[in-house]
Amino acid sequence: MATEQSVDLVDDETVGWFTKAVLIAALTAALAQISIPLPGTLPPFSLQPFGMFFAGLVLGPLWGGLALLLYLLVGIAGAPVFSNANAGLGYVIAGQGTGGFLVGFLVGAVVAGAIAHRGTTPRPVADLSVPVQVVALAAAVAVVYAIGVPWLSMVTGLPLARAATVMAPYVPLDLLKLGIAVAVVQGGYLASR
Amino acid sequence: MLSYRPGSTFAHRLDPRSKLLVQFGLAIAAVAHPTLPWLVGTTAFALGALAAARLSPLAVLRSYRVVLAVLALAPVVAGVALGPPWFRVEPALRSALYVGRILPVLLVSAAYLTSTPVRDTRAAVQRLVPGKPGRILGAGMALVVRLFPLVLADVREVRDAIHARGGEARPLWDRARLLAVRALERTLDRSDRLAVALRARCFAWNPTLPPLAFERRDYPVLAVGIALALSPLVPT
Repeated sequence: MATEQSVDLVDDETVGWFTKAVLIAALTAALAQISIPLPGTLPPFSLQPFGMFFAGLVLGPLWGGLALLLYLLVGIAGAPVFSNANAGLGYVIAGQGTGGFLVGFLVGAVVAGAIAHRGTTPRPVADLSVPVQVVALAAAVAVVYAIGVPWLSMVTGLPLARAATVMAPYVPLDLLKLGIAVAVVQGGYLASR
Repeated sequence: MLSYRPGSTFAHRLDPRSKLLVQFGLAIAAVAHPTLPWLVGTTAFALGALAAARLSPLAVLRSYRVVLAVLALAPVVAGVALGPPWFRVEPALRSALYVGRILPVLLVSAAYLTSTPVRDTRAAVQRLVPGKPGRILGAGMALVVRLFPLVLADVREVRDAIHARGGEARPLWDRARLLAVRALERTLDRSDRLAVALRARCFAWNPTLPPLAFERRDYPVLAVGIALALSPLVPT
């Protein structure tokens, strides 16, 4: 007996954006495992926000959001993709007080992508002007803190002002990362992408 | 670190969809009720979940030790005051209660990840999210899990190459820029190769999924998950 079913192929353009989203999700997971130690009592220089920055700039709001959503889902499913090879829904909620920042990265990528590309179809990265890139990434950083700090306060019971004080030392580092991400794009390394 | 361990415990035999619902339900219930009775109740429930997965609570605490150590600082930070009496007990206790309610969430998620292979969660996500978005999420999760070790090896290789060339002497922003550029370049190259490979294999919107089926034992678990998720709506 014939049980034929026609194959509904995914079109080439969608496959291209999909694989980029998958690989940026894997890159976000890999960068979460790597940090550059800083001297003294400064927190280590984590490379994780670059995943969000590149997802927004290269992939736009739809596919960039997918990349970060995939990152969170594989972590919830048990792959050791969060920092220090952690996994699980408990880590997304609590983290090291940083659970909200993971969700913030997802929303941040969507916001950065929406500002940079002004639509769901990504434009070539080389067409994005420097001010647009800076505004997009600064908005993403603002969103990450707007979600992360109240979340930290909710999880730990710290008053909002004190939670903000705890996270304040990370802001200059994140702005430095923003500058590096823009420099990477301006360096022309992504011009053909 | 905690990861899936094959087994035949009660938790292993449950459908991943009912386990996911219980996990989210418990997280909602625990976070919505920062009170001592709820803390005791959700912790007892979480210990039950660990028993159902034959998982030692001590092993879970050990693997989450860094997370727990950082969270344990919160009551100290909450209690410190910038003047006499320098340390206030009431906000510290409140913070301890807030941090404490996260413990059962961590325990239950540990029971989930040791009793559920990633491919089962992928199948559950793909079945719970209808249509093309579900297909994209399911296939995407499987590919991220497969490619993460390769991309991590790429990034480590780049870092080692920078070190080997005396990169530690360079300024921080330059090191981070080099690492980001090279890692992104390799990642996008992998993406191009993956796109060709998927097209060559007729990547389709309608593939055959691994079978999942609710059994009799799943229904009470589902009911518990729904009850926990709706518990914030019940006036206390």
